[in-house]
Amino acid sequence: MKRSPVELLIFALWGLATVGMLIALYLVFINAPEERVMGAAQRIFYFHVPIAMMTFLSVFVLLAGSVGYLWTRKTAWDNLSRAATETGLVFCSLVLITGPIWAKPAWGVWWTWEARLTTTMLLWLLLVASLMVRSYAENRDLGARLAAIVGIVAAVDVPIIYKAVDWWRGQHPILFKPGAKAPLAPDMQLAFVTCIVVFLIFFTLLIAVRYRLASLEERTTAAMERATVR
Amino acid sequence: MKPVGFFRGTWEIAAKDLRLEWRTFETLSSSFIFSLIVLVIFNFAFGFSTIKELGADRLVPGVIWTVLAFAAVVSVARSMELERRRDTLAALFMAPIDRGALFTGKFLANLIKITILQWVVVVLSAVFFNFDLISIAGPMLLVLFLHGLGLTELGTLFAAVASRVGRGEALLATLLFPTTAPIFISAVKCTASLLEGKGLSGAAGTWLLVTIGFDVLFFLVALATFEFVLEE
Repeated sequence: MKRSPVELLIFALWGLATVGMLIALYLVFINAPEERVMGAAQRIFYFHVPIAMMTFLSVFVLLAGSVGYLWTRKTAWDNLSRAATETGLVFCSLVLITGPIWAKPAWGVWWTWEARLTTTMLLWLLLVASLMVRSYAENRDLGARLAAIVGIVAAVDVPIIYKAVDWWRGQHPILFKPGAKAPLAPDMQLAFVTCIVVFLIFFTLLIAVRYRLASLEERTTAAMERATVR
Repeated sequence: MKPVGFFRGTWEIAAKDLRLEWRTFETLSSSFIFSLIVLVIFNFAFGFSTIKELGADRLVPGVIWTVLAFAAVVSVARSMELERRRDTLAALFMAPIDRGALFTGKFLANLIKITILQWVVVVLSAVFFNFDLISIAGPMLLVLFLHGLGLTELGTLFAAVASRVGRGEALLATLLFPTTAPIFISAVKCTASLLEGKGLSGAAGTWLLVTIGFDVLFFLVALATFEFVLEE
């Protein structure tokens, strides 16, 4: 059977992600030195920050998918934005879980209403709301259209929310001080950059898998409808 | 039949909604009673001593905008719920009218209802929490209007989204509150600045500019996307 380009991409990304994850684990837990002040807790930063980056990347994919769908009405765009919403939600949840684990030893509190945290929390709510709209809709087309609208508003709004919360709280005092005082040691830098690349591959893999799943669902539904008509 | 232009269409739809409201006062009365209840609950939540200790300027901005946020949800949700219950959304969509006017008409009617509600809530808060409203009435009206604008724009859009999937206030609030977070931050800052007697200069002025930007941006976004909600 001939493989579709998306399937080949999935195989390639899957291989890369597997190897990359193993290398990243080695670099993060064995190669990178222990941070002086925060100790072992700091190592979560190698996962937390790249995951957060991917979360905000998913918003751009969501925007592209939403605009693309309203513009062209091709379901491929909707599959893309659906994949971006679900993958984004998973990554966003991970950010909200790994963040407090790090914040408790580093800042002494689980949660603080700082700009990044607040924006991430609001983004999480928006992604959930978008999935709710999609699943409440009585048919695929309506769900796709409404989710695209929510997606566009959310994507346009996220940078504004971030700036607004930033001004509201004043500058966040603790988050950047460690980086500013002593830039990352070379081995830390290596682990960090590797993690960003690996998570980018992993993120793309998840989007591709979800995208393919959505197209398969679409084909199955179409086949079933044809069978019912006959 | 000749299609009706944008401004005329906006007016026709807004007038229809306001006429319905004028005949029953259904939306205004329910959202007014709702606001009153929330104000009373706030009174219990904080207690007399806390209110005295914190003073009006620390407490009232948060109270006013929490009440207005929830009351706005009740109000805009009703306007779409009526259309859904009577299956008139399809009729609206088929009307020989400029598509953009569907949004601006609904929006205008909602804005007028919410503005009236805002004034009532603020006057009631002045009575309940004992602050001097008359000396800040002018700038207060401006603050209420500019923030009510952003709230109503996205409120109108998302009320339509929520009613299309057969859900009411709960889904609307989930969509509306995260997206209008900047509006609430700004509204509370500006109201606090007025109550502290600082007027709208300095930080509050900057926030007002941010709000105006937000209002313009999301007016355009809602105008561009609203017709996709109604489409069959």
